[in-house]
Amino acid sequence: MPEPMLETADLRAGYGHITVLWDLSLRFRAGALTAIVGPNGAGKTTLLRALTGLVPHRGTIRLDGQALSGKAWDLAERGLVMVPEGRMVFRDMSVEENLHLGAYPRRCRADLGRNLERVYGLFPRLKERRHQAAGSLSGGEAQMVALGRGLMADPRVLLIDEPSLGLAPVIVQEVFGVIRRLKEAGTTILLVEQNTRMALSVADDVHLLRGGRVRLSEAAAGLDLDRLHDLYFAREQAA
Amino acid sequence: MASPRAPLPGLALAAAFLVLAALPLLLGASNYLLGLLISALILAGVALAWALLGNLGGMVSFGHAAFFGVGGYASALLAGKLGLPVLLTVPLGGLLAALASLAMLPALRLSGPYFALAILAYAQIFRILATEASSLTGGAAGLQRYPGLPTVFGLDLASRPGAYALLVALVALGCLAYAAIRRSALGLALRAIAESEDATRVVGVNSVLLKAWMLALSAFITGLFGALNAHIIGFLEPDYAFAGSWSVLPIIASVFGGYRTVLGPVGGAVVIYLFDQVVAKGLIAVGHQILLGLLLVAMVLAAPNGLLGLLERKGGARAGA
Repeated sequence: MPEPMLETADLRAGYGHITVLWDLSLRFRAGALTAIVGPNGAGKTTLLRALTGLVPHRGTIRLDGQALSGKAWDLAERGLVMVPEGRMVFRDMSVEENLHLGAYPRRCRADLGRNLERVYGLFPRLKERRHQAAGSLSGGEAQMVALGRGLMADPRVLLIDEPSLGLAPVIVQEVFGVIRRLKEAGTTILLVEQNTRMALSVADDVHLLRGGRVRLSEAAAGLDLDRLHDLYFAREQAA
Repeated sequence: MASPRAPLPGLALAAAFLVLAALPLLLGASNYLLGLLISALILAGVALAWALLGNLGGMVSFGHAAFFGVGGYASALLAGKLGLPVLLTVPLGGLLAALASLAMLPALRLSGPYFALAILAYAQIFRILATEASSLTGGAAGLQRYPGLPTVFGLDLASRPGAYALLVALVALGCLAYAAIRRSALGLALRAIAESEDATRVVGVNSVLLKAWMLALSAFITGLFGALNAHIIGFLEPDYAFAGSWSVLPIIASVFGGYRTVLGPVGGAVVIYLFDQVVAKGLIAVGHQILLGLLLVAMVLAAPNGLLGLLERKGGARAGA
């Protein structure tokens, strides 16, 4: 097995006195799309937030074998870039200003023009609306801004949280089409998604979380869906 | 960088302001009028610094009197006790005010009203220090034996026209610095912090560091104008240099003029100061500030974006007609 690009060892994270993630040791392969699936409250979003420094953690996170500091701005500088749940676009700013902000890490400021063209190539609709306030966009367009803003940072690992949330099925298809193209272009992606079927349709690897622990880590191809569902709904305990 | 605000109206406004600023000198205004304008420009400098902090970083300050007083006392003491040249002590006053702002760093993690309350309390500390450290500051009795502004290249800065010209130049410089920061990549990040600090963390902005820089810059500008004021007035006491009005009037000026713009706080400061001193004082000798309050209420109701917003709207309507 090739050396994983991103890995966690005994990662523990939570909010105040509440622990959400219990000593996760996970490996994410370079160039692969890893789907993180699981029921509500499994800790999927907390995992992404710990990986990008938005919640404090214990244990180690390594990128290419190097331990990371855990400061959000430093992680973005190293290429761990988040497309957050609920998009979190800057509503009072124009589409283009949002994209410019994505290129804030020093590492990618020089490539701002090239990355902007790339994002507009992936999302022609954003180019049409470049001067429009992001707050006036539809949910699908706002998701495109959030994805585009992530791409502006030239991510080494792109962490996408619930991209399908609140979107019409046809828009979900469009967003996943772009995610598939990013993966084919070689971007390492961590995808958290409630819609397991959509997630599996693009994933190379799958981690199933439940109750803050890993229940399954496997290649997506040849995955036994019945077993996944049993683990997802904790049926083995009920039986 | 794409900006919803076109640069041309800004330039035209800046030019108009400079022409307006030159008029009193060209028309040979009386020393009385120049004195009023000098005080208005001191207020304009503080209002500019206050609005900069609010717009670039989203911090609402109720404590700018602290920076104003520290700048004034620092410059007066350095010039009076150590004999340093005033042209050096004035920027040093700004620097010491910026240094004083470092004590606010723990409060930068607070947001909204919590930050505002913390800085309100913080401002009191310095007034008490200035009163109690009487061997250095002269205590409540005040400080008055220190030099005024010098003569530079034949221009007597201590004269009314000289001080006026100096203040116009410094306010203009402050506006340019503010506008330059706002247009930079840094300014975009700072405006984003004002909108949603959480989302800026997602894109990798070190928001606490940037906010600390803006607080220090705002304190520096405020301290600089506090220092200039100290040398122009020639007298300092804690209840004057750290007066709450140095915290409140800049807010009124900024909101009145349009706090989201660069020139709004400056225009607002000149209008409200002249209104207060000339119109309101003439009508009601004691308690004339009540008219200032009414004026502000009227402006907020008529034009929530302030004087500059109102001008832009009228200008836009005319251009559209």
